[in-house]
Amino acid sequence: MTSLFDLPFEEPEPHALESERVTPAPRRILTVSELTGRIRVHVEERFTDVWVEGELSNCRLWNTGHMYFTLKDGGAQIKGVMFRSAVRALRFKPQNGVRVVARGRVSVYDAKGEYQIVCERLEPEGLGALQLAFDQLKQRLSAEGLFDERRKRRLPALPRKVGVVTSLEGAAVRDIIQVLRRRYSNAHIVIRPARVQGEGAALEIARALSAIGKVPGIDVVIVGRGGGSIEDLWAFNEEVTARAIADCPVPIIAAVGHETDVTIADFVADVRAPTPSAAAEMVVARKDDFYARIDRLAHRVTASMRMRLHRFESRVRTLEARPGYTGMRGHVALRGRHVADLTHDLGHAIGGRMALRERAYQSLRLSLETFDLRRRLAHVRFRLIEADGRLSSATAQARHRADGQLRGAAARLEALSPLAVLGRGYAVCWNSERTAIIRDATTIAAGQHVRVTLARGELACEVKSS
Amino acid sequence: MDDTIKDFEAAIAELESIVKKLEEGDLPLETSLQLYERGVQLSRFCHSRLEEAERRIEILSERGQLRPAPDAFGEDDETKSKVKG
Repeated sequence: MTSLFDLPFEEPEPHALESERVTPAPRRILTVSELTGRIRVHVEERFTDVWVEGELSNCRLWNTGHMYFTLKDGGAQIKGVMFRSAVRALRFKPQNGVRVVARGRVSVYDAKGEYQIVCERLEPEGLGALQLAFDQLKQRLSAEGLFDERRKRRLPALPRKVGVVTSLEGAAVRDIIQVLRRRYSNAHIVIRPARVQGEGAALEIARALSAIGKVPGIDVVIVGRGGGSIEDLWAFNEEVTARAIADCPVPIIAAVGHETDVTIADFVADVRAPTPSAAAEMVVARKDDFYARIDRLAHRVTASMRMRLHRFESRVRTLEARPGYTGMRGHVALRGRHVADLTHDLGHAIGGRMALRERAYQSLRLSLETFDLRRRLAHVRFRLIEADGRLSSATAQARHRADGQLRGAAARLEALSPLAVLGRGYAVCWNSERTAIIRDATTIAAGQHVRVTLARGELACEVKSS
Repeated sequence: MDDTIKDFEAAIAELESIVKKLEEGDLPLETSLQLYERGVQLSRFCHSRLEEAERRIEILSERGQLRPAPDAFGEDDETKSKVKG
């Protein structure tokens, strides 16, 4: 009896039987647990990841959230369990009688002496085959590095020409155009039509991508289509499409179906967009936003420049307000008035005498007048020098108090205020390379060139003398 | 276009760095003037680039030729709704 139990299930090969008869194995009695344990180890190591198809029956969802069922076909059945987390990810409602493809591992339940499949995924049959192809291609391309993060290129901030590869019949192309127009009204769009579903669609998409990548000026491409069944989207799960995306010389945005649809194309593309409209939004920011951003920056440049000039100016004003400087200014004003008086006297004198003598003496009188004028001029000049001398001594002290800092500030003001007041008719004189402002005429020789900045425009000048 | 500016992105980046320098640094007058002028130049460049692209839709044919897209591909929403309806 015991020898019967020791026999394998199948008829042993005759020669094996022979050898066993010659040297019978020592009897080794296992407990049920031991045997079951061995079976479990054997089964669980062997069937870690299997795909199996069959018909669902006895399908029950427990209130723990786990689902128990039986898979069967014409000749056999296997029990199955799906744990709560996997049940939640199901994309269809399992019902008795539905043919499904299950993926999982086989385990043994010692207590009942039963084995079962622990299901990770469950799909209606037909989809299962596609899913398998998807997973295998995904794994292969991933191993090749096609999905690597460092392969991803950045999209240009402002594309010159936007390429679009999709069907002219679908809603996607209109969505994309509409969004692009709304955000960036003068967008230049180049569409390369391609069938996006059905036999040969993948090859068409691939050829379209290769063609559009060669159009000069195109710096970003959207490839995609609107929503559909997994079969409808299949062209975007084919290798030829994936490779064309990877080979495209410009960055690509993949926009296939809806948010929840994920295709191989999405993994290879530089950017994945949930929908075609979203892809168009990613391509370019709103034109108004661009303007606002640039104008904000330009405004800050101007504002900080203006503030800088004001700081210089107010420093100089503070120095000007000091008593020493104010005193000097008073003297300067006084001298100015004095000079004006003298000039007036002189003009008067010249006018009067000229008229008188011209009438009487013609050319002789004229030379006398010149002589007389010289004397008068000498006199005026003397008075001027005298005035200047008085002024000098009066302000000498003040001048001393206006220290080096003041002089420095005044020098800066000289350079600075014309810039602030170019509009009032001042000008800034630069050296010819426009790298420095000219403050001292002696640094420039006759014949050299200078540039003069006016309120509007600039002059290139040649120096006649300095 | 000014060939000292690489592209739109580079222009914005440079403009940002100029703003930063002008706002933070205590620069000599000449330097800040030069930065200011460069800033004005950059923002003009950005403005013109925003207007530069042509409002055009083209179809690239099988034979690699570009032709204008039919009006159905919507210059504006009104045209579009007419086509749809």
